[in-house]
Amino acid sequence: MVCIRRATVDDLLAMQACNLMCLPENYQMKYYLYHILSWPQLLYVAEDYNGRIVGYVLAKMEEESNECHGHITSLAVLRTHRKLGLATKLMTAAQAAMEQVYEAEYVSLHVRRSNRAAFNLYTETLGYKINDVEAKYYADGEDAYDMRKHLKGKQNHHHGHSHHHHGGGCCSGDAKAVETTQAVDAKAVSK
Amino acid sequence: MGASLPPKEANLFKLIVKSYETKQYKKGLKAADAILKKFPDHGETLSMKGLTLNCMDRKTEAYELVRLGVKNDIKSHVCWHVLGLLYRSDREYREAIKCYRNALRIDPDNLEILRDLSLLQAQMRDLSGFVETRQQLLTLKPNHRMNWIGFAVSQHLNANASKAVEILEAYEGTLEDDYPPENELCEHTEMILYKVSLLEESGSFDKALEELHKKEPKIVDKLSYKEQEVSLLSKLGRLEEANKLYRVLLSMNPDNYRYYEGLQKCLGLYSESGQYSSDQIEKLNALYQSLSEQYTWSSAVKRIPLDFLQDENFKDAVANYIKPLLTKGVPSLFSDLSSLYDHPRKPDILEQLVVEMEHSIRTTGSYPGSDVKEPPSTLLWTLFFLAQHYDRRGQYDVAVCKIDEAIAHTPTVIDLYSVKSRIMKHAGDLTAAAALADEARGMDLADRYINSECVKRMLQADQVPLAEKTAVLFTKEGDQLNNLHDMQCMWYDLASGDSFFRQGDLGRALKKFLAVEKHYADISEDQFDFHSYCLRKMTLRSYVDMLKFQDRLHSFPYFHKAAIRAIRCYLKLHDSPKSTAEEDEMSKLAPAQKKKIKKQKKAEARAKKEAESKSEESPAGGASKSGKRNVKPVDPDPHGQKLIQVEEPMAEASKYLRLLQKHSPNSLETHLLSFEVNMRKQKFLLAFQAVKQLLKLDAENPDSHRSLVKFFIKTGSVSAPTTAAEKLRWSVLEAERPSISQLQNKSLMEANKEFLGRHEDSLVHRAAYAEMLYMLDPSKKTEAIKIIEDSTNKVVQTNNAPGPAREWKLKDCIAIHKLLDSVFLESEAASRWKSRCAEYFPCSTHFEGKRSSLMPDSVYNSSRKSNENGDSPNHPMGQTELSDGQLQALKKLWSCNMPNVYNCFSI
Repeated sequence: MVCIRRATVDDLLAMQACNLMCLPENYQMKYYLYHILSWPQLLYVAEDYNGRIVGYVLAKMEEESNECHGHITSLAVLRTHRKLGLATKLMTAAQAAMEQVYEAEYVSLHVRRSNRAAFNLYTETLGYKINDVEAKYYADGEDAYDMRKHLKGKQNHHHGHSHHHHGGGCCSGDAKAVETTQAVDAKAVSK
Repeated sequence: MGASLPPKEANLFKLIVKSYETKQYKKGLKAADAILKKFPDHGETLSMKGLTLNCMDRKTEAYELVRLGVKNDIKSHVCWHVLGLLYRSDREYREAIKCYRNALRIDPDNLEILRDLSLLQAQMRDLSGFVETRQQLLTLKPNHRMNWIGFAVSQHLNANASKAVEILEAYEGTLEDDYPPENELCEHTEMILYKVSLLEESGSFDKALEELHKKEPKIVDKLSYKEQEVSLLSKLGRLEEANKLYRVLLSMNPDNYRYYEGLQKCLGLYSESGQYSSDQIEKLNALYQSLSEQYTWSSAVKRIPLDFLQDENFKDAVANYIKPLLTKGVPSLFSDLSSLYDHPRKPDILEQLVVEMEHSIRTTGSYPGSDVKEPPSTLLWTLFFLAQHYDRRGQYDVAVCKIDEAIAHTPTVIDLYSVKSRIMKHAGDLTAAAALADEARGMDLADRYINSECVKRMLQADQVPLAEKTAVLFTKEGDQLNNLHDMQCMWYDLASGDSFFRQGDLGRALKKFLAVEKHYADISEDQFDFHSYCLRKMTLRSYVDMLKFQDRLHSFPYFHKAAIRAIRCYLKLHDSPKSTAEEDEMSKLAPAQKKKIKKQKKAEARAKKEAESKSEESPAGGASKSGKRNVKPVDPDPHGQKLIQVEEPMAEASKYLRLLQKHSPNSLETHLLSFEVNMRKQKFLLAFQAVKQLLKLDAENPDSHRSLVKFFIKTGSVSAPTTAAEKLRWSVLEAERPSISQLQNKSLMEANKEFLGRHEDSLVHRAAYAEMLYMLDPSKKTEAIKIIEDSTNKVVQTNNAPGPAREWKLKDCIAIHKLLDSVFLESEAASRWKSRCAEYFPCSTHFEGKRSSLMPDSVYNSSRKSNENGDSPNHPMGQTELSDGQLQALKKLWSCNMPNVYNCFSI
């Protein structure tokens, strides 16, 4: 009933619209562009039978830290499209790409403490564990669980983290500014 | 740089540049002033000081200084470069390019300026210039990877993919065999895949495949590898291999419809139109049978056959598809099947099937022919499905009946209220729809989706202040509605603009529609930083996709809608006599509206004052908490009052019209608006072009017909041509007229009559005929009205459900009501029409139907009244009452801010 596939640039406007419908954490188009132009393999969409984007996952690689790891920036599924396992499928696809393309050691995400539905999805269905609690992580003062899931990581080839550091490039700077104030919220995943 | 200065000042000059690069503007300013104290006319210092001030939001001074700098030292490439940077920061790219070119005339090999120039050329799609600059950069610095890649990309963009391949190959020739190092595997993968895609684009499929296979070990993105491989195999006609590969891809992701499509193509079983011969259907059926055995967990293999199967086969398949999903309670089931409703027979089959299920579950507790007991929720979801089914068929009474039963069955399921809200909207009661959406919202205040849906319904019901209050519950504290704007929330701009438009507030409406246009301009601007970023990151396939996306940006729906609406606003502004005096405007408004406006004014004044005092606190704009963005200046025209003072509304409209014509040439609306705008501008030949386009796209559309007739009425009534231009126009039209088949050897009257003859049974066509008849001959008003009133609303549905579905659409009936009232100016006929339609649409508030929320005994009625001023967001309940706990919680919610929403609500 719903097609799961890699996102293309043409999907970004619909992904942004989906995000604005579902989640309190929103981003400008440039942030979506930044993701797809940095890690094109890590964005997936759920497209319903009428061609409408009803869910997406927006993910990235953290390249600055010592361990190469992925991070889920945002995950949303329209309320009308629950009970189809879309959140799980989207997450699985993004995680697989992190592992396979980037040899990520683990994948991290933040979730609101009060969001039991999402928390259950992450812990029970997807195998995430609480790594830390970040106090007042969200703009409204709520705490976040910093969660992690271990991936297989390095196999045949070593993948360092010394990507080209781009000093002065406005887009990485801009994007980081967005990151510090906005965070993943996995609300509206299937309840 | 700073060469003409003595050593001490030269050092200071270096400090300015460094401070600028490290964003330590105050420090830079100090250094600049120190130099200027001794050398007040030093051009480059003046320029750098200006550039620094520009970053501190002191634009006017910046321009003055930089221009003075250029004047004082016109031979300095620094001065020109800085002026270019200044223009660039203001998005004046053409001017910036000129400055860079001047700078390069002085210092032709300056890498920095060349690079900056190349970015602007990419942004402006000056592709031949881009190629040239990129070539120069590569010649100057061939040891930089980025310069090779940049040159290749520039050739590709300039439609020379094979040249781009050559460049990449030359670059690869410079690499060692063991390239890439482990930390560049991803970049290298991207480069190989880019090269393969270039080969594919230039038609060298063989070479592309060969290259792909050769580089396989170095490609870490295995999914892209396979997708690229299968695409090439298909194009080479190696269908057997492609077939196998598609099956591999399906085993990796059986939910990707594109793989199924590809597989069908390999087997010669794909048709764009979805039409298949019975032989093909049989083969397709067999294919999906076998696939479904392989991918048991995939729903796609079960859903796709519903499109091609017919009659009995369809019935069996759809029954098998539906049952488990009803048992599971999948809310999107109806929407998943909705495309089947375009088929002539499938909706009837579905209805029969699901009604049987409903009956069977009621009587036996199981599906027909089964003895497995269903859980109680199956009945609920069956009713939920049927409600949407009847809604889709226009049988709103039955739909409401089904959804009400579902709500009575399980009152706690939020989706039921959302669907009922949608049914009420279709049935014409927007107030009830908003109240129901609000009820749904109240059941889970932490869910933004139902909040958004509720806001949308409130705006549709023209409850703007209430909608605003509801929407800001999910925006960041402090910046409230601005947050929706900052986050480019375009559906909100459109929906609230529509509401302002309906309410006659053209200023605010325009403001909202132009906001969408602004978002698109910003998105277009966003690409700038990626021109250099992607060359470093090597994400070249995505980069080129992004550029193509940007080129098509204005064809995306939000822009299309916003532009259409903005043009409508300008048309209205043009048509309404200009009254600049505000009082004049006010006098036209109803007292309630006046009060509203006055109140808004007060609030504005207050907000402005607050904003001003805030900006005083932080001079020079200041930075927000996170430091990411400067505080926005106060909007000097928050309600679009200046926008509606525009001198030439048609000139403004033409700006957006051009974009529509370029990006939405196949939309009827584009040409309708072009007709309207050009008629008003007296550009008859352009208006005629629009008429021809309309006839080409859909000659039988009532609006196309209207435009045609109106055009010839208008041009026929203009007095004999006098000027040369008029004569020319005349001869063109004379020559063209015979080419319009509708008018061949016919008068307009006859053409109109024939139009009616072709569409005697259609209400909207009769109305168009009547309107044109009246326009052609005002003495035939009675006859025209009779044509409308003699129309019959036939029963179209033959199903046995109570409340038969009829042909007429609510929105058409409303349009005709307005036609009678404001074009024919026949209030009696209008009121006859109204009471007739009130029978057909008993829920419609427009026609004051007896079941609409306007009626005194309506459950939504009280809510409506308290809604009007939006002071007290209310929780009108259709049938269910709020529990005490909920009420308490709500009160708490309204008295405090966001965080509580999350904490105290999780129903």
